[in-house]
Amino acid sequence: MKFRRFRPLLWPALLMGNLSCSATAAAERVEPSDWLNRMGAAVQTTSYEGTVIRIQDGKAEALKVVHTVRDGIIREKVVAQEGDGLEIIRNGNEVHCILPDRKSVLVEEWDDQSTLFSTLPSSEVRFGSEYDVSIVREDRVAGRQTILLAIRPHDGYRYGHRIWLDTETAFPLQTQLIGEDGSPIEQVKFAEISLNKEIHASALAPSYSTENFRWYNQPSRHVSHNLETEWQSKDLPQGFRAVLTHGETLPGDEHVVTHIVYSDGLANVSVFIAPGDDQSAEGPSRVGGSNSYNAIIDGHRVTAVGEVPAITVEQIARTMGLR
Amino acid sequence: MNDAIRMQISAFVDGELPDAEADLLLRRMGQDAELRRKAAEYLEIGRALRGERSVPGIDRLQERIAAEIDDKPLDDDVVVPVIKSGSAIRPLIGVAVAASVALVAIFGLQMTPGIDEKLAGDNTVAEVVEDPGYTVPQQVDEQLRQYYLSHGASSSELGANGMNARLVSLRLSDEALSEEDAVDSDEADDSADELPTQP
Repeated sequence: MKFRRFRPLLWPALLMGNLSCSATAAAERVEPSDWLNRMGAAVQTTSYEGTVIRIQDGKAEALKVVHTVRDGIIREKVVAQEGDGLEIIRNGNEVHCILPDRKSVLVEEWDDQSTLFSTLPSSEVRFGSEYDVSIVREDRVAGRQTILLAIRPHDGYRYGHRIWLDTETAFPLQTQLIGEDGSPIEQVKFAEISLNKEIHASALAPSYSTENFRWYNQPSRHVSHNLETEWQSKDLPQGFRAVLTHGETLPGDEHVVTHIVYSDGLANVSVFIAPGDDQSAEGPSRVGGSNSYNAIIDGHRVTAVGEVPAITVEQIARTMGLR
Repeated sequence: MNDAIRMQISAFVDGELPDAEADLLLRRMGQDAELRRKAAEYLEIGRALRGERSVPGIDRLQERIAAEIDDKPLDDDVVVPVIKSGSAIRPLIGVAVAASVALVAIFGLQMTPGIDEKLAGDNTVAEVVEDPGYTVPQQVDEQLRQYYLSHGASSSELGANGMNARLVSLRLSDEALSEEDAVDSDEADDSADELPTQP
């Protein structure tokens, strides 16, 4: 019965003498959006162990990563392969950052599901509007068969993405953030990986005894949600809309800062509005693929920050104003 | 490191290495810091040759590549960016973890009882060293760093692009951490200076 069901798919491939053609054809029959949905589930549920290479701004660096999800609880260990031997141990929402050379442990609570690949698009992205998504080709990454998906922006207000998904599990084995000129701004790639293999608890334990280390807790932001504000952008780039508005008191600053987040579903831009009229602070700034722009408007310092091209943060910052 | 591996790395950074060889090379890079450094160096060179950044000695970089591959001695005055292992590590961490973990050390440590109060009261704001890769180098101030942090946290809540923002925050924090280390070191030196001298 099973043979009969699969035969129509198998025979053409066998006749062609190339099984990979069958895999490609099968993969291409799945819509790109289906791949993204599968990927979304895979990153939340897949356990893995491997070595990640990250390339950004001309620097190539390696991390050993062990990641498990059991009963919805993420446990993760990340070890930098060079430098001071820093380790990150995550157990559910509690994260310990171990700095062996400083004999210190930094502690933070996470309340989200951030993982190695949380830069990936959410289901909120409106493909066809601001982005197109397509299957480019079949490829191999870390010795595994993958499908390359390309997310291409329609304009210069946002970056593109390339994602190599494991054909079998839809787990992303490689991702690239693509700049305006089509070249990668940042690349994360598994050099080797084991998917869904049993991971022992010892693999997630710290490599160091932290008994005599100093422990630090992180101060939290003071956030008041759903702030009403008169501030808005009068010329938002196509597709962006306000999705969050906060009033925040940031460490070291007694003023309440208005924080508005604009999103197109994939790229996010934060706008911070604080009292101040220091003209010298005006202008752009950039770190990696993130840009920011400071503008002085109506006696306020307006700062737009986001993982978008410089033109986007500048336009948003400069067009902010009171209703 | 032999010529073959150098040429392989060169082909890799140019995107010209066949997939199978690239996978093998990446696996080796996972185990070999020297290979990673070399790949990073070639990437820098490639960017420079494409005019993406200003690198001193750019006119001699091609010569350097040839010299590297031919194993000829290099001139000392050719400037090529080199990864600083200490500063490279923290941005890397951001790929997988919340940047704010590492930021604890910079943005106002709240000490648990018994922890060194000198650090707790240290509100030193580090000046971020400009990244030579930017066309218009800018200085990122403390307020902007806080904004990046806050943006990273909010983006994370939205579920998209959060890690990239956190990565940036961590990158910024890396410089501050280095600065803090320097401050610690200076203070240690000062303490040493204050020690009574032997008669």
